Amino acid sequence: MQDPVQRVREIAGQLLTGGQVDGVLGLCEQHGGVGPCLFRGEDDLSSLVLEPKYPLANVCKLIQARYPNGRLGVIVRGCDERALIEMAKREQVDLDKLALIGLACTEAQAVECRCRHPYPQRIDVGERVEGVAPTVDENVRKLLEQGFNERLAFWHHEFSKCIKCYGCRNACPVCICEECILEDELWVQPGVVPPDYAAFQFIRAYHISDKCIGCGECEAACPMDIPLTRLYALVRETVRELFDYEAGADVAAPSPLVTTLEETPLLEVGER
Amino acid sequence: MEKAHISRSQKLAGDRQIRRQTAGFGNPARANCDLPRIGVFVCHCGNNIGGVVRVPEVVEYARTLPDVAYAEDNMYSCSEEGLSSIKESIVRHKLNRVIVASCTPRTHEPLFKRACEEAGLNKYLFEFVNIREHCSWIHMHAPDEATEKAKALVRMGVAKARYLEPQEEFQSDVYPAALVIGGGVAGMTAALNLANQGFVVHLVEREAELGGLLRGVNKVFPTYEDAGEFLAPLIQQVENHPRITTYLRSEVESVEGFIGHFQVRVTNGHREAEFEVGTVIVATGAQEFKPYGYYGYPMLPNVVTPLELEEMLKKGFEFPRNVVMINCVGARIAERPYCGRFCCTAALKNAVLIKERDPRAKVYILQRDVMAYGEHIERHYRRAMELGVRFIRYSLDRPPEVVGVRQAREVKVFHQLIGKELTLPADLVVLVTPLVPQPDSEKLSRMLKVPRGSEGFFLEAHLKLRPIEFATDGIYLCGSARYPSNIIESVSQAYAASAKAATPMRQGFVQVEAITAFSDEHLCTGCGTCVLVCPFSAIELRVGENGQKSWVNATQCKGCGSCVAACPNGAMQQRGFTDRQVLSMVEALVSS
Amino acid sequence: MEKSADGFKPKILAFCCNWCSYAGADLAGVSRLQMPSDFRVIRVMCSARVSPEWVIKALAGGVDGVMVLGCHIGDCHYISGNHRAKKRFALLKEMLGYLGINPARLYVDWVSASEGARFQQIVTEFVETVKELGPHHGPEG
Repeated sequence: MQDPVQRVREIAGQLLTGGQVDGVLGLCEQHGGVGPCLFRGEDDLSSLVLEPKYPLANVCKLIQARYPNGRLGVIVRGCDERALIEMAKREQVDLDKLALIGLACTEAQAVECRCRHPYPQRIDVGERVEGVAPTVDENVRKLLEQGFNERLAFWHHEFSKCIKCYGCRNACPVCICEECILEDELWVQPGVVPPDYAAFQFIRAYHISDKCIGCGECEAACPMDIPLTRLYALVRETVRELFDYEAGADVAAPSPLVTTLEETPLLEVGER
Repeated sequence: MEKAHISRSQKLAGDRQIRRQTAGFGNPARANCDLPRIGVFVCHCGNNIGGVVRVPEVVEYARTLPDVAYAEDNMYSCSEEGLSSIKESIVRHKLNRVIVASCTPRTHEPLFKRACEEAGLNKYLFEFVNIREHCSWIHMHAPDEATEKAKALVRMGVAKARYLEPQEEFQSDVYPAALVIGGGVAGMTAALNLANQGFVVHLVEREAELGGLLRGVNKVFPTYEDAGEFLAPLIQQVENHPRITTYLRSEVESVEGFIGHFQVRVTNGHREAEFEVGTVIVATGAQEFKPYGYYGYPMLPNVVTPLELEEMLKKGFEFPRNVVMINCVGARIAERPYCGRFCCTAALKNAVLIKERDPRAKVYILQRDVMAYGEHIERHYRRAMELGVRFIRYSLDRPPEVVGVRQAREVKVFHQLIGKELTLPADLVVLVTPLVPQPDSEKLSRMLKVPRGSEGFFLEAHLKLRPIEFATDGIYLCGSARYPSNIIESVSQAYAASAKAATPMRQGFVQVEAITAFSDEHLCTGCGTCVLVCPFSAIELRVGENGQKSWVNATQCKGCGSCVAACPNGAMQQRGFTDRQVLSMVEALVSS
Repeated sequence: MEKSADGFKPKILAFCCNWCSYAGADLAGVSRLQMPSDFRVIRVMCSARVSPEWVIKALAGGVDGVMVLGCHIGDCHYISGNHRAKKRFALLKEMLGYLGINPARLYVDWVSASEGARFQQIVTEFVETVKELGPHHGPEG
């Protein structure tokens, strides 16, 4: 089997030389680390790498905002593609101007992210592995076994570490509000650290509940190691159970919270 | 359209703060920037409130609240005396917010609002606190608790009042012309009714002639008038009416706008017509369900639908001796669970017609319940039975079988009530099918932004309370477009729809209550969530100098607030129910 | 779960929609149906206006129980406003559960303008429930 990096470089090269795209967005080694890169010519591609996972959807959006007519190739893992789809639903990216290079994740990566869909809709590179449920994580199971008071104590402990850096929100691809409610003094008192977390954390969790695509970048960005994805994975499961809906699956499918009960019913307990 | 920012973290914090402050409610009518001077008027309502709640104590308490400039109690706030006192106090104490704590706003709110206006205060600077229905009357045996609750409710009212803003109700004018889509009996009746009241009517009909489904009918029930003769005077009146413009062989291509000003484009394939109307009536009717694949239709030439039978009857040729009608074909089944309503009537009509013409004819009606409601239809049912029409009940799990190779010869049916299979000779088999929605109803529904029900027919605003209009203002509905209707029902509905349409046109304007939503451009991200949530399609995304932002059509907005709760960052707010107003009420409750 | 001490007066907020539940509450009043006094009504035009963020803030701020009462599904004055309310709060309840807030503190139901007795029953039962759950200490401890 061909080395995935080689294969990606090949495909990206084809897109560039064929003139189908003006640039390919991926990762490259730079300054001793790895960061997003816009590859313009076939020669640059030798520095293209695939790891570690990096949220390219946000970068894609920035590039499109600046260059709305540019055609962009993007290397997308499952979560990147889902992020782009959710962004497209909210008028943040133009999917028609994107050529996606689908990269499937490995089994180890799927377990690490507790991901149900570690692959994009079309896989160009890599082999599809089955996703896992969030309960594969022992910590998630533990949380579910606890009573309300214990859970509250747990989250109280975790959220008290928050330094209100907004890293979670900034990294999140589906947090697209230009003016964020978490910076509105009506909801979150300015100058208070840690922030009143019912206002901050709970509101953010509710806001992304029907949009979260499970990329895990929030937790990766958090300097205080707050286990955000432990909560969000459960919320995603709930959305799946209540509405048979998954964010990022279909650009034509609006959030169930936006539709009527005829369009997206609330499944009764027996139906879930 | 280039977005000005590169990333959130690069924006200056101060810049953002300023934007949030000036954004506020985004309402340019925020004329009153003075500190609030709230007046609180607590009503005894005779003994109704005063007998349980210690009103003077509540007044005392109100005086201690910040921003309350004046408080008093009234025996009956809604009396002449009470209202005068409020008006005088507004002037004397320079009050710029008024709270009345008494009964439910659903009774007297307009009264107090008018009093405020008379005293020179914008009526939206008024807040009602319910301490009767929601307090004294339901806690009659707990005066201490009721008094504490009254205080808490007043405190919450004061908290909201601080953030009330003056609002202007505006009147939106209505152009006195109507579009009627569909020239059947419903459409023509509606058009004439409006034209006779002095309104200009544009009647658009897809076919080459007016008349709709009735053109294909032989005799109408129950009078057995010739359908053509029944229609002729109606058509003549429509065609000769000076205020009705009829567009034949034409279709509506687009309808833009909202009540009072709909911009309509009609085309007949060669030419286009454009005009403006104030209201729209949907009278597009329905079409007969063609039962392809059922009982040998259409291969067997003597298996026909009801309209095909009407055609045969109109031509008046030699009539077959053995007629078998199968009711509920394609109706009341899993794919189409509804009842076609008048197909039984039509079947009875023709069964009686055939028998009266030729008493020796054998007519069978195979049925799964006969819908013979009301007086005429029931009477006809009996007449049919008296004439010898045989009714055989069959069940859906053992449907009849039409036997014949090049044509139908007999029909086998399992008689559900006697439990035997019968073989009926058949020279003609009539498959009685229901009406189904028009093929272009989806296109029309999207064009007008009006909903269709699960069956595909148009969906009225409320089944009982608003049966011939849509939730979208200015668009009305009648006839089989809404649900298969017979002539009587279609005509009644047409009168109702045209009467409803006439109201705003006659008045000349519609008044919009100022509890509508509005979007702050500086905060809006243009994500479009609000557009999807609005049940009235009152919001759209518009490209402005700041990019694509949401915009609420205040004439269409009904003030439900769905969009506000759906908006993730508070860009969308509702006048009179802003986040700030409600959160301050929550805060007031928590701190009491 | 603490058993309520005598004298625990819960703070309960009830969001009622103008056309159905608020009117139902009025009818209960007109009919003099007695009920515990621990709840305060906030009127909105439609249950769809009730922002889940308000509920979050309320429960965090020290409110012991929140009710959201709208029209019966299918009867909403604004056609489908209550559809959104139903779905939003179904989701919010589960989410609150994961966070350690007992979802029983959020009560969502549908009361028509003619159901005064039902309003009385619902409120009475919910106040009892909240009394049994005890004071809500919120995330701050």
